[in-house]
Amino acid sequence: MRIDPRRAVVVCLAGLAALAATVRPVLAQEEEERARQVYQLFKTSCLECHGEMRKGSLDLRTHATLIKGGVSGRVVVPHDPAKSRLYLLVAHRDEPPMPQKKAKLSDDQLELIRQWIEDGASLESVEDAVADERKSPAALAKLEERPITPDERQYWAFKPPVRLPAPVAAHESTRNPIDGFLRAAMQAKGLKPAPKTDRRTLIRRAYLDLLGLPPSPEEVDAFVADKSPDAWPKLVDRLLASPHYGERWARHWLDLVRYADSGGFEFDVDRPEGWRYRDYVVKAFNADKPYSQFIREQIAGDEYTPLTDDAMIATGFLRLGPEGGGGGERGRQESLDDVVMTTTLTFMGVTVSCARCHNHKFDAIPQKDYYRIQAVFFNTRGIDYPLVPAHDVDAQKAEAARIDQQIRPLRQAKRDLEASYLKQLVDREIAVLPDYLQAAWKTPEKDRTEGQRLNVLQIEKTLQSDSLRAKITDKDIVALMPESERQKHRELVQQIAALDKQKPRPVPTARAIAESGREARPSYFLHRGSIDAKGTQMSPGVLSVATLKEPVFPEPPPDAKSTWRRRGFAEWLVAPDNPLTARVMVNRIWQHHFGEGIVRTPSNFGVMGEKPSHPELLDWLAIEFVERGWSIKAMHRLLMTSESYQMSSRDIAEDVAIDPENRMFWRMPRQRLEAETIRDQMLAVAGTLDRTLGGPNVFPYIDPDLFEKSSKRDWPGKPDDDPATWRRSLYVFSKRSIRYPLFETFDQPNLVNSVDRRNRSTVAPQALLLMNNSAVLVQSKQFAERVRREAGSLPEAQVERAFRLALGRRPDRDELAQSIEFVKGGPTGLAEFCHVLFNLNEFVYRQ
Amino acid sequence: MSFIHDHGAACGCTSRSNDLLVTRRELLSRLGGGIASLAFADLLGQQGLLAAEQQSALAPKPQAFPAKAKAVISIFCYGGVSQVDTFDPKPDLVKYQGETMKGVGEVRTVMGNPGGLMPSFWTFKKHGQSGTEVSELFPHVAQHVDDIALIRSMHCLSPAHGPALFQMNTGSILAGHPSVGSWITYGLGSENQNLPGFIVFTDYRGGPINGPPNWGNGYMPAAYQGTQFRDSGTPIVDLKPPVERTPDDQRKWLRLLHELNEKHASQNPLDTELAARIQSYELAFRMQTSAPEAIDISKESAATLKLYGVGEQPTDYFARQVLMARRLVERGVRYVQIFSGGGNFEPSWDAHWDLKGNHGLHCAETDKPIAGLIKDLKSRGMFESTLIIWHGEFGRLPISERMDGRDHNNNGFSVWLAGGGVKGGTVVGATDEYGYKAVENPKNVYMLHATIQHLMGLDYQKLTYRFNGRDMRLTDVHGELIKEILA
Repeated sequence: MRIDPRRAVVVCLAGLAALAATVRPVLAQEEEERARQVYQLFKTSCLECHGEMRKGSLDLRTHATLIKGGVSGRVVVPHDPAKSRLYLLVAHRDEPPMPQKKAKLSDDQLELIRQWIEDGASLESVEDAVADERKSPAALAKLEERPITPDERQYWAFKPPVRLPAPVAAHESTRNPIDGFLRAAMQAKGLKPAPKTDRRTLIRRAYLDLLGLPPSPEEVDAFVADKSPDAWPKLVDRLLASPHYGERWARHWLDLVRYADSGGFEFDVDRPEGWRYRDYVVKAFNADKPYSQFIREQIAGDEYTPLTDDAMIATGFLRLGPEGGGGGERGRQESLDDVVMTTTLTFMGVTVSCARCHNHKFDAIPQKDYYRIQAVFFNTRGIDYPLVPAHDVDAQKAEAARIDQQIRPLRQAKRDLEASYLKQLVDREIAVLPDYLQAAWKTPEKDRTEGQRLNVLQIEKTLQSDSLRAKITDKDIVALMPESERQKHRELVQQIAALDKQKPRPVPTARAIAESGREARPSYFLHRGSIDAKGTQMSPGVLSVATLKEPVFPEPPPDAKSTWRRRGFAEWLVAPDNPLTARVMVNRIWQHHFGEGIVRTPSNFGVMGEKPSHPELLDWLAIEFVERGWSIKAMHRLLMTSESYQMSSRDIAEDVAIDPENRMFWRMPRQRLEAETIRDQMLAVAGTLDRTLGGPNVFPYIDPDLFEKSSKRDWPGKPDDDPATWRRSLYVFSKRSIRYPLFETFDQPNLVNSVDRRNRSTVAPQALLLMNNSAVLVQSKQFAERVRREAGSLPEAQVERAFRLALGRRPDRDELAQSIEFVKGGPTGLAEFCHVLFNLNEFVYRQ
Repeated sequence: MSFIHDHGAACGCTSRSNDLLVTRRELLSRLGGGIASLAFADLLGQQGLLAAEQQSALAPKPQAFPAKAKAVISIFCYGGVSQVDTFDPKPDLVKYQGETMKGVGEVRTVMGNPGGLMPSFWTFKKHGQSGTEVSELFPHVAQHVDDIALIRSMHCLSPAHGPALFQMNTGSILAGHPSVGSWITYGLGSENQNLPGFIVFTDYRGGPINGPPNWGNGYMPAAYQGTQFRDSGTPIVDLKPPVERTPDDQRKWLRLLHELNEKHASQNPLDTELAARIQSYELAFRMQTSAPEAIDISKESAATLKLYGVGEQPTDYFARQVLMARRLVERGVRYVQIFSGGGNFEPSWDAHWDLKGNHGLHCAETDKPIAGLIKDLKSRGMFESTLIIWHGEFGRLPISERMDGRDHNNNGFSVWLAGGGVKGGTVVGATDEYGYKAVENPKNVYMLHATIQHLMGLDYQKLTYRFNGRDMRLTDVHGELIKEILA
């Protein structure tokens, strides 16, 4: 048994209690009493901030932390009140006056503190009592409890959705309940809905929304000409069946899950297999995988049967975060925080990670919930999951080992050959070292001081085995050799290199998640979020306020490879009575059709978020979503076939005056397209877009000045007219430290944080990029070539064709005249004109 | 309630922003780019101009309280400068050479291979009225010690480049946060709408690791990200039209674009976003002239060029950048950051071996230009309105590595500030007898960032940006002013 020396002293003192009591000087007793009083005073006046909260990193609860001081250094100088910051601040002799926002301490209290500092400013005598008070399980457990009140359960987002009948507008009976909800709200505010938009605008809107690509002129014409009553729903169905639909909607999802193809941070190591997760998401959307299944696979794909490659790839969701935070327990906490934060924002729309260090200050989210949810993920670890049969993996390993076996003796032979020359070189280097290092080198090992021992070790390592500094290189060594040995050396080097080349390629793998068995490792409540302040051991749990009955986490079967905690959590998420999951997802689907969500903070349904503009509609949609088997495509159909979706985006001055932000959805907002859609649309219009689906990423050209000068990093992009890179933007490698300029400039998120709603800024660098970037210019020329091919050489026909390709409409008479004049202006007029079209507001906005 | 309130102001988990502000901020994030002059009036209509102007993300914003400094020039010595060889003399290292440090606990080195204590290769001398000691590595800067507030007790959270760079540049050791330059331009906008508000120069040998996220806008709108400037020719990538497009061609091109855009906008006259986008082309056009002009040092006098060390080796490259920084600040750019050192190991200040050669070179490259900058700013009356910040991401250990180098040290190192609002001649704090650890009046990076914001007239506790449900701050829940250096 290990005995704490301090405890041992206490025991001894207790044994001598009688004696101690009598010999303890009266003075010491007084000092102890003062310390006790000072501590009481701290409790009432200071610890609110300088206790558990450690404001300014100052903790006055223990002697050690008191002496350590805070961010500005020591707060007490024992025996010297005049130099003790603590005293100067409470005496209001220095800034800021303490205690803040409270009355100044009384003169008696100040005198007490002054005297106590004179005594030596010690809390040691009261510390044990304090420590025990803090460490008692009851006290700790009490700190961790934060009960949910019945009122808090009444917050709209935590109550199960309720289906109310859709209101029917007075003047008409609408077919789609969405219109009923929206129009009733509009009527109440005196707003009138925008009229139906024209068919050309509508089809472009539908294409951009569902595919992220523009319709061809022929598709526009066909739709305009289709007078059948079901022309519109037919179009929606056709687009939903397109494989490009999944590409478009995967991008929205990738924003939420902070997807990138590299680890970010110092070395930003690539994740060459990362795209498999991206393809998984595309396929899931295309197959209309039930959202519930989509959730299960990403959170716990490895804990369900039958185990599929897809489900394993899906667990990569938990590994998409950036590297960083360092190693060890602290680093692990950081990456778990990334997982807890992203998971709860994405699927639940609540800011659980605000409760990492304290109970959530506005939402009813106890800190304990944070650590219960952390316990769900605590046992995960990353694995490279082979996507080939086990015997292929074994064969690959065996072959690699066989070759290593052959290399080993060659390496040894090379070392033996070099040994004597290496020694010569080492001796030469040592002769020029400073005296004190040479002295260390010459001192016999047993006589060396600790410093000399370290220095000798350093000299040996630096001169003999330092690959970084390479003070002595192979070349130096070879230079000393006679020709015969040089020949031998060369042969050895060649043989080793040849064998290295023969090593088999690694098998394809998925970045996936595994655990180390069915028994969970213990994880703890961390007071203040600190690994140095562990509370009680946590069992897995969910968001207390959003569940009336705590779910029972499933017991993993005896042969389980994991704890099944994530499976339990996933099942809670997809349970029909979960008040958040369906609401959050239908709101996101709505957001990407109507420009903004019904809740305009789509990942924050808490008190700090925005309230739903149409709560009954949100509930109604959430219930529909679950009843329609969590089918996302069914929701697209439902939303798009509403009249509200088909409204014009034109201004209505009276409506703008009442509701300038369109919170009532009285029109379809006009919106700048996302970065990726702008690029995809350019390629599609130029006729150069390679529509191949899926697979590894492409590297379109980036000006080397933008990354070589900034980070010595590699971006294997060939010159910009390499058609192999003219794939959809979804397939452009997303390297966290080298952003594709067009994406970065047009507000693609930073690939580090979960983002629920993109910034939409308008800045001059965007204009410069579309005006001058070589990739844009190349596509403008390609566009011109296409126009010439399809419309012949007459400027009038060219302008008309170009307008229809780029904007889905014909030019009016003025536009036609201006454009013809421009095209005729010079030999490159058409390409220049096509370039103008790429820069138009109408081109980069969805109406 | 006071508890919640207090804490709320600190961690951003609680404070509820004024709805009006959120809306305004949202507007700012959607619009921006800065639109001011009418130089392009022959091409552009006036409609919506005013609205767009008012909503520019980079429009100048008032300081929270009056402060002298209007602009920042930040000099970042990437790789980590050795304090005991530059600004923090430790003569005892000679006495202790080859020995281990006593009473400092376990010494962790990043690269392994620790040796004994290694004295400096350089000597220190007292300078100026303040008598501050500076080593012979910075003979020119040393002449300005009375203008400088030197902090010898800085410490940071990580001894690894990646996290330490992120902390110095963004406050957090993790990626994804806006940089100091982004915060300052977010808080104050910029005085010149024809140039980016936040401009970055990197070293000719490459830039720092982590790459552009070092000057990234994190979760803020793109308007606040640092724009990398090349130091010759066309400063910004994609600034100039293709060579085959003559100025006359470009004028015609812009005219057609403008006319078609105006027609479209006239159907939706209430949409200020469309107007702002039309105006952004005007700004882009003006930037084509103003950006090259801003860095064109050919008009500078021979005396000025000489003052900075332009045209001499080894100062030429860095001197040009520093001089360009002065020109940019003169033109109203809010924040200029220059990285000295690039890539890994020798090309940067990261002197894991051959400290003598490494710091010998990097100091020689930067010493005269920095001193020249101080002198030049003073003679132009700009010193009081410019804040100069000098530091690396951490310091270096007093013990040796690889026989003649030094490993990373985050426990104690030197940084200095000068110019607007800074009390010159000040020395704050001290490291222990070895120069290893900040022991007297230690200062952390949050304090440095709080102080920088304060010197710029921003309240570091009140300047927040809402993201994922939290009101974020540059100094997170931390920060405190370094009052000792405030004039």
